Amino acid sequence: MEKLKLAVYWASSCGGCDISLVELGEHLLELARVADIVFWPCAMDFKYADVEAMPDGHIDVTLFNGAIRTDEDAHIAHLLRAKSRVLIAYGSCATEGCIPALANIKGADHALARAAFGEPTTDNPGGTMFQGRYAMPEGVLTLPVLGTQVRTLSQVVPVQYSIPGCPPSHEQVWQALNAVIEGRLPEPGGLLGVDARTVCDQCPRVREGKIRVERFLRPHEVIPDPERCLLEQGLVCAGPATHAGCGALCVKAGMPCRGCYGAPDGILDQGAELLDAIVAGMAGESDEEIRRVVSTIVDPVGTFYRFSLAASLLHGLKTSPLESGATCETQRIPGGREGDVA
Amino acid sequence: MIRSSELDPGFLQEVMAIPGGENLLHCWSCGTCAATCLVRRYDPSFNPRLILRKAGIGMRQEVLSSREIWLCSACDACYPRCPQEIHISEVMRAIRTIAIRDGYAPPGPSAEVDSALCSGCAVCTRACPYGAIDRVPVIVDGLERMIAQVDPNTCMACGICVAACPSGSISLEAVRNEELLTRMSAGGWLAGQSQPEGGKPRILAFVCQWSMRSDAEWAEVEAMQDDSLRVVNLPCSGRVDPALVLLALAEGADGVLVVGCGEGECHYKRGTYLGRGKVALLRSVLEQTGIGMERVRFVELEALQRGALPALIADMAAALGQPARVSG
Ligand code: SF4
Ligand code: SF4
Ligand code: SF4
Ligand code: SF4
Ligand code: SF4
Repeated sequence: MEKLKLAVYWASSCGGCDISLVELGEHLLELARVADIVFWPCAMDFKYADVEAMPDGHIDVTLFNGAIRTDEDAHIAHLLRAKSRVLIAYGSCATEGCIPALANIKGADHALARAAFGEPTTDNPGGTMFQGRYAMPEGVLTLPVLGTQVRTLSQVVPVQYSIPGCPPSHEQVWQALNAVIEGRLPEPGGLLGVDARTVCDQCPRVREGKIRVERFLRPHEVIPDPERCLLEQGLVCAGPATHAGCGALCVKAGMPCRGCYGAPDGILDQGAELLDAIVAGMAGESDEEIRRVVSTIVDPVGTFYRFSLAASLLHGLKTSPLESGATCETQRIPGGREGDVA
Repeated sequence: MIRSSELDPGFLQEVMAIPGGENLLHCWSCGTCAATCLVRRYDPSFNPRLILRKAGIGMRQEVLSSREIWLCSACDACYPRCPQEIHISEVMRAIRTIAIRDGYAPPGPSAEVDSALCSGCAVCTRACPYGAIDRVPVIVDGLERMIAQVDPNTCMACGICVAACPSGSISLEAVRNEELLTRMSAGGWLAGQSQPEGGKPRILAFVCQWSMRSDAEWAEVEAMQDDSLRVVNLPCSGRVDPALVLLALAEGADGVLVVGCGEGECHYKRGTYLGRGKVALLRSVLEQTGIGMERVRFVELEALQRGALPALIADMAAALGQPARVSG
């Protein structure tokens, strides 16, 4: 039997998704028996030219991790879409924007300025700014150009499946890969590597059920009781509004769920659901009391939309109607070229 | 006319034997509850004093078969005013418990949980103002799970849990998400052009059913609806769903107005405060993302404030003014 042709790519991501594949451990050897890896820039030496040279539809399955932030990300997304029979958005960045998409709150200009001048670890006395293009004696160097908004993979090209998680759990990934290997993929359009229901379903913590929160705390402010529901202890736990799949990893380790497996099935906007669930569990029998509890929530967007901002209804609100559909303005970098961020 | 032959002297004891019903004996029939009652302001046929009186003298059949015993929304506005410290809504509940035992069914729908979806997260059990929901062990797909279960006698159909459940596992007839969406978008309203050039801002108003005192008032507001206004009534402003608010904004509404009861006048204890809390947080989210908090607003309509809604809508439209659009 001919071996499967597999590709892995990273766009705007942290590298954790690639690590989650390395975490497959010995399964990688099993994988190597049935599949050839034809492209995986993080792990092996491939050039874009290698992919460009492939006929369309040459790759059986591409696991694409990372959000679409630069013109390079968008270009490779289009390229891999054309070369792959099945394109899978792998991990939270590709699926719903994840942490990179939080930059959408203030925009790409702000993110660039912050990286160049604002970080405590940046020493930039000359005030050097990123340049898209720089002429050296050896030739002209270019950097990818940032789009105004970080987007999900499916906002740029059609994808068949998504595997959520920041990063996806390797057990889930192995099951999904087995489905690929054995040709058992479900109808396109859904999630792979998840379980039914929400994180709370897999969480062993005890819920009293009627405790309402008087004041929300951030994780560094409290050592939570190891047995009890974290939400009932005043920590914003995204478990109730997050798709099951990770086995309740964080909550078992004493950290509230941050929501990386995305919205439960059929839910339009994870952040809005979490917001409602959090308010519903607030103590207070008067406007003043509820407002006081509401005011203890620090950074509402980062709390409710930590992973899902690019896939949320807010994303459409920020980009429409000026930038409708697939086009979006490109970010100009001083001296830079205009990118083709689609 | 009261026929003594139709009285059941044991009924008083029967009610008092049910937890919450103990205090029926102490009612003086002073009528303070009726003077306070929020439901009575809308429906004069409802009189809590009379129900307690009839129950106290043993008009068992008449009380149990009456429609009124189901009308109390257990808001507890009357409880602190009663000189005898009778928890009237608890007595009503005790009476309804007997009615259900006798085979009478609550006339209205109550919240229902889909056990195939519920994760047992307990968001709804904390959300319900009445504590009508508990998690109980249920066998689903061969596994024992803790699934939410609604007590239909305690449920007042406020819809707060429907909005709160983050996985869409609870439904309540007439205010399911799909039904609200249908009302929001009927006639293609949601697909309409967002504030056409020189036109009026388009406002979607979610209005608590109790903030309108009469059918005439409703009719007036409904007649105002046009391309720039869509009114969707909710059982309580606590039923407002942040996802539906954002959806409306994303699909062509320039602003969303949420109308609830005044302070201390909520028919569902704390529903209106939850509505306000949600809107307050949603406004900070919209502000933080640069979309602008003026797009969503909560206003309260006090019980004595009549016919004020048109002015509140006009006020929001003025505040939205000319297109306040943001770009990336
Ligand atoms: S809210 Fe968090 S801690 Fe509580 S049961 Fe759900 S996942 Fe567990
Ligand atoms: S508990 Fe939540 S944040 Fe942690 S891995 Fe699971 S889904 Fe992600
Ligand atoms: S609890 Fe509320 S609705 Fe019931 S009788 Fe008292 S005031 Fe009326
Ligand atoms: S909020 Fe929804 S998922 Fe959670 S326990 Fe209630 S019905 Fe179940
Ligand atoms: S509809 Fe209201 S009263 Fe009924 S169970 Fe839900 S929250 Fe409780």
